[in-house]
Amino acid sequence: MFSYIAIAILGISAMIGLFQKKGAYIGILAGSAYYIWSGFNPSDQMSYFVLIASLVWILVSLYSLSYDRHYGKWLASSMALMIMGMIIILQSTNYLLLITGWETMSVPAYVIVGMNKKESAPAFTFMMFSEFSTILIIAGAVFAFFATGTLFFTQVPSFGPLLLISLGALIKMGMTPFMISEWLPIAHGNAPANASAALSATMTLMGVFVIMRMILISPDVTWIGFLFLAVGSISILFASIYAYISENMKMLAGFSTIENNAAILSAMGLYLVASEVVLKQFIFATIIIFALSHAISKTGLFFSIGNSPGEYFGESDQPTSYTQRVGTMLITMSLSGLFPTLGGLATWMLLEAFFMEAYAGGVPGMSAIVIGSVIALGEGMATGSMMKILAFGNLFHRKLEKKQPPNHAVISGIGLLLIFLFAISIFIVSGTFISGIPGVLVFNGFMITSRFGPAVFGLISPDYVVILITAFSIAAYALFRKPRLRDVPVWNGGTVEVDPYTSYAYSNNIRLMLRRVLRTKTGAFGNAVTVIDVFWLIMTDIGKGYRAVSKFITLRVMNSSIGWYMIYMIAAFLVMMLIAVLAY
Amino acid sequence: MRYKFGEPSGRYIGHWGKYHVYADSISEIAPDGYNDLPVHKMAPGEFNFQYGPSTGGLMESVGITLTTPGELINSVAVDPSYKARSLKLKGKSIGEALLLVERINGFHAASNSLSFLMAVEDALDLEVTVEVQKARILQLELERIRSNLEVIKRLCEPAGFGVPTNQLGYLREKVSRIISGVAGHRFFFGANAPGCSRVSSSGINEKLSEVGQEFQRLYAGLLESKIFLNRLQNNGVTKDSLLTGPAARASGLRYDSRTVRGELPYMETPFYPVVREEKDCFGRFCVRGEEVLNSIDIIASLGSLKETVRTEIPKGSGEGCARLESPQGDIFYYVQLKNGSIEDLWHVSPGTLNIRAFRESMKGNIFTDFHFNWESFGIWISELGVVIQ
Repeated sequence: MFSYIAIAILGISAMIGLFQKKGAYIGILAGSAYYIWSGFNPSDQMSYFVLIASLVWILVSLYSLSYDRHYGKWLASSMALMIMGMIIILQSTNYLLLITGWETMSVPAYVIVGMNKKESAPAFTFMMFSEFSTILIIAGAVFAFFATGTLFFTQVPSFGPLLLISLGALIKMGMTPFMISEWLPIAHGNAPANASAALSATMTLMGVFVIMRMILISPDVTWIGFLFLAVGSISILFASIYAYISENMKMLAGFSTIENNAAILSAMGLYLVASEVVLKQFIFATIIIFALSHAISKTGLFFSIGNSPGEYFGESDQPTSYTQRVGTMLITMSLSGLFPTLGGLATWMLLEAFFMEAYAGGVPGMSAIVIGSVIALGEGMATGSMMKILAFGNLFHRKLEKKQPPNHAVISGIGLLLIFLFAISIFIVSGTFISGIPGVLVFNGFMITSRFGPAVFGLISPDYVVILITAFSIAAYALFRKPRLRDVPVWNGGTVEVDPYTSYAYSNNIRLMLRRVLRTKTGAFGNAVTVIDVFWLIMTDIGKGYRAVSKFITLRVMNSSIGWYMIYMIAAFLVMMLIAVLAY
Repeated sequence: MRYKFGEPSGRYIGHWGKYHVYADSISEIAPDGYNDLPVHKMAPGEFNFQYGPSTGGLMESVGITLTTPGELINSVAVDPSYKARSLKLKGKSIGEALLLVERINGFHAASNSLSFLMAVEDALDLEVTVEVQKARILQLELERIRSNLEVIKRLCEPAGFGVPTNQLGYLREKVSRIISGVAGHRFFFGANAPGCSRVSSSGINEKLSEVGQEFQRLYAGLLESKIFLNRLQNNGVTKDSLLTGPAARASGLRYDSRTVRGELPYMETPFYPVVREEKDCFGRFCVRGEEVLNSIDIIASLGSLKETVRTEIPKGSGEGCARLESPQGDIFYYVQLKNGSIEDLWHVSPGTLNIRAFRESMKGNIFTDFHFNWESFGIWISELGVVIQ
């Protein structure tokens, strides 16, 4: 009940935003903080989504206080409304509230994406996919109503609602149709950076939340699990490839979002496939940790990109703020799955879960090995794309001369937060997986173990990782002090002409190696190398085909013909009745 | 003079300044398309990667600029000017000039000095004995063996083939010692003069036979290595016909100055032009490999050769030219003499055409192909960097 006050605060913030932008962001901050207090319950695993989303909104509002200078009054208000929609989703106890929240979230998001007046296509693309997503969720809700007789979230005897609503949620996560949808990077890449963070980190989180909610009230359907695994693994691979070759930093981050969401989807697929209860618990914990890691890291990444003078690598400059560079380094480390950040733990847990399932043998075991390997491959590629952002967006190039906005402190804060969350992850992961080995001075409560039975499969102690790295760093500094550096001019074969190495060149190896997949062409359209996103191509072709057929029927068949229109209405009604009866 | 100034006649050999040398004439007219190399316009995403002139992996100082969007090479520029040397030859006597000419490219000293001397002999209308001509074939073929061994060795290096690289280096050293025994100098310095040759072939056939056998084993081993062949096949495919030397013969063209009657009596030896159809690094590798074995057979057929008596160099006047098949292709010298002194002198190095072919063949290849392709042409920058004064 108290949580609905948070919705009210966000609604009021939206109105304040029309007159006072900063007031709206302070309202979002207050509402989010209040929502954590009222809506988060550590013993309820689903409430961790409340914590994750609220943390992101707090960071977004802090960053926006000094970012939102170039945008009008609508950005702050739309952000508040969008977040309000997400809280409605998180608070929903029935399908009607879920759909209401879904639309309340999507419509302001459309406005935000449309604020980039240079192009109108991204906003329309976003809206088209959003509405397709809503239609599937409505269809799933109708199905559930017919199956249970109520609109409340209760145990559903059929797999239909899970499948339909999951497909709807997956669209928001950028994964249907055709496994990877470029609409997400296009839309998220065209929004202002603070909104991109909210879209990429929390709107996609809503998809994870909705699927997880449906999984918990649906029967265990293994084939849907395999479907999730297939979609997830293919998406991981392709999203990481497209992220690696992207020259637009925001689109790179968007593809990275698909890749991370695909990893979470794979974990959800594994949750459905796995039969071992302890393993299921571990997978659930993995989903929470991965979602938390992705949400915080991606927020930081969009902030870092937002502080760059341009969205393309060629326009980027090394930020003068040392703390921002360190923050970005930690954020990219987390998104690369490296220790000592939360992303390292998330990736470790995900791979452990898959390799534990390998012991199940048979098709599930073999699938787990194959998909685990694909995930590892995707993570490797993700490291490459994150290093691209770190190197070409933050470390190389000339230094930014102009004064940086004070929000660079938020970016460095997020970097440190990822280490902090890694260190306290023992309090987030279920107690079933917390233990210790006192004999080697790893005391009880300081070790996370992966297990699918009584025996331990793998282990890690986040605190010891942090302590050891810190201790050795301090010891090295105490012993050797700051190393003496000697700057020498770059040797370039004895010549003075030096062309800087480009981000494009950095990722061109993949464009060339995967020329059959990416349809790489050289010298076309005056460009050195061009690639085609086959998924997007198929999708736009189908869209164009559908439009052509619709146009033909509208103009040639149904135009001014009430008879044909009546036939169409009756046929549509009969089809819907048939579907409903069959589903029931 | 064997060559006449006028209209282009025969296949193209190369150019020096305004002069374009053809198989049968010297002209100021360039062959069709020679000056039409497309100028590369930088496309979005491309940058220039500078390799050399002072860097590891290159035998000589040469500036290579690769225009690339990363990995892929879209255009190559080769700048040999870093090795520019001014040689003051005009006004010098033939003997003094010879000292400098044989040092233009020490590794191909026999080709340069013999071509120069044959041009002098043409200018002075000197008759050269068959014995001397055979001695010159001996030198040229020994030089070819060593040079081809060196190129094949350098092809093995970028593949990381340490064992064959060192074995080929060992064979090259053996050949250098044979040369030292034959000519009294590892690079034939001081072994030649107009009308005579101070080389002796006694006892070299057994040593060369050993080299041949060892090389055959290595060559067969390399031909069986899929890793090695993958790096050579379809790498650096040549497209046009303005080619010379092994690069031409690897592209199905029977271009070889040794087939020209009247220069040196190659037709009396088991010489045959090794021609392949591949057009790529592999073809050039095979041509050089088979030529090593053919050169050993040619030398064996020459019989025992002894030092010829040095003759007095006449102080005459005239102009002459000569063309020989050096290990990297046609080498041409033009000499104008006045009372025994050099009035004018210029030469055409096969490197000009080879660099042109290399540049064209490199387009569309990737970084890792670079070294194989560069080495397969066996280009010597030192010949190109010479400015004759």
